[in-house]
Amino acid sequence: MKRLIEALLFWTAVALIWEFGVRWSGTREYVLPALSQVFKAGWEMRGQLLADTLTTAWEVLTGFALALLGGLAIGLLVSMSGIARRTVLPLVTALQSMPKIALAPLLIVWFGYGFASKLAAAVLFAFFPIVIATIGGLAGVPRNLEEHFRALGAQPWHTFWHLRLPAALPSLIDGLKIAMPLAVIGAIVGEFIGSEAGLGHLIVFATSNAQTSLSFAAILMVTVLAMLFYGAVDLISRSVWWRGVSV
Amino acid sequence: MALAHSMQAARQPIAADAQHHPLSGGATADAMISVEQVGKRFGARGGAEAFSALDDVSMQIRSREFVSILGPSGCGKSTLLRMVAGLVPCDTGRILVDQTPIKAPVPEIGVVFQTSNLLPWLTVEANIRLGAKLRNLPRAQIAARLPGLLETLGLTQFADRYPHELSGGMRQRAAIGQILLLEPKVMLMDEPFGALDALTRDRLNVELLRIWQHSTLTVLLVTHSIHEAVFLSDRVLVMSERPGKVLHDVTIDLPRPREPGEIKSNPRYGEYVTELSKMMGVF
Repeated sequence: MKRLIEALLFWTAVALIWEFGVRWSGTREYVLPALSQVFKAGWEMRGQLLADTLTTAWEVLTGFALALLGGLAIGLLVSMSGIARRTVLPLVTALQSMPKIALAPLLIVWFGYGFASKLAAAVLFAFFPIVIATIGGLAGVPRNLEEHFRALGAQPWHTFWHLRLPAALPSLIDGLKIAMPLAVIGAIVGEFIGSEAGLGHLIVFATSNAQTSLSFAAILMVTVLAMLFYGAVDLISRSVWWRGVSV
Repeated sequence: MALAHSMQAARQPIAADAQHHPLSGGATADAMISVEQVGKRFGARGGAEAFSALDDVSMQIRSREFVSILGPSGCGKSTLLRMVAGLVPCDTGRILVDQTPIKAPVPEIGVVFQTSNLLPWLTVEANIRLGAKLRNLPRAQIAARLPGLLETLGLTQFADRYPHELSGGMRQRAAIGQILLLEPKVMLMDEPFGALDALTRDRLNVELLRIWQHSTLTVLLVTHSIHEAVFLSDRVLVMSERPGKVLHDVTIDLPRPREPGEIKSNPRYGEYVTELSKMMGVF
């Protein structure tokens, strides 16, 4: 309860400083709108705002899911095969070292203005941390447990399912926490470069029409969306409680 | 089968002879574990030079015997145990368990390590079941044996707890339970109580002895506690410094069942401890 009041007071103060700071300084709306003007613009365009939010949310979710599957697969491959470690991993690292924003226009060329190019951008941004977290998690499986499983005559699949995967989960979850906000950034970047829908599109559209209040409303929605998705991952991560527990 | 049986019967006198000369080498028909001229070298790696860990080690352990290997740190006794378990290959010689050459881990053998090796994300009961699950033992069979086993180990009230909520002694009991549930013929133990305090260690020794007494287990225990070795064993094998060799084979002729109070006040117990201490170079 005390924590709730603390948080409430803090955010109210931030909102008030924004609102009255803008009003008293006489800053014009197209430069920096007051909070009330942002809400007003958002409410007036609520149909559009909601539709664009859903578009972006869907891009982020599917992009994240694909990044998870691909990242896990590549992480596993690299962990299990020396050849993959010497070939696939450098390729992935090179891809990661490339400024991904520079690739975004190409994605539009390859996948068009629609959903597919945003999906590709979200995957591209999100999947590297998942690869690294998978490799790190699997490499951290205690040797004594590996030997114990060997002594018990465990099949490779059993060793993976009962030992390696659960032992790697804490690290993997950390990777997901980094990847989730990156998936949001990927989708927005994709929408910036070329799109007909989504919050990124709305931001570009509103800003270029000097509708700064609407632009801010869209930015707030992106923030809320990213926090909700991050919160979901964080909630799941609490079921992996054995981080750092050694017996 | 009948032939094998009669051959075994015919060999009985020879086997009995080998019992008195366990270092004589050569397989005996009733040996549960037969280690024959085994050697192990570890190759040079990085700055480290190649060295010989074990050199021409032989030993015969009969079915249902309790044998301890005593030796200084680094003498290769843990390596030897891992070789018997099929976890480390022999460079020379061979190891037979229940007449079968060991090349990989087999279901007849269960290994208890110094670390309990329990999985932190499984309850005590799930951990004890884990080995049986990995070996695909029938569920009904596991379910039938589990309650009695938990009772024997004093873990019934802790079945639903997680390992980190238990004391080190309790964890080691659970680790032993995981192996007992598999009903192996041979239990190999690598300093299973080495990380425990003296009191817990003594208590677990008594319990281990009781469990062994009521089973058909053959136990090979690696330890560097002389008292533990004398209290538990039928025979104690003393190993040399690296490269490890079996220097002495001491039969512990103390009555069974052994009660700690009774045995430790027995003058022969003290004599064995003194003798082994001398062999180990303690004094």
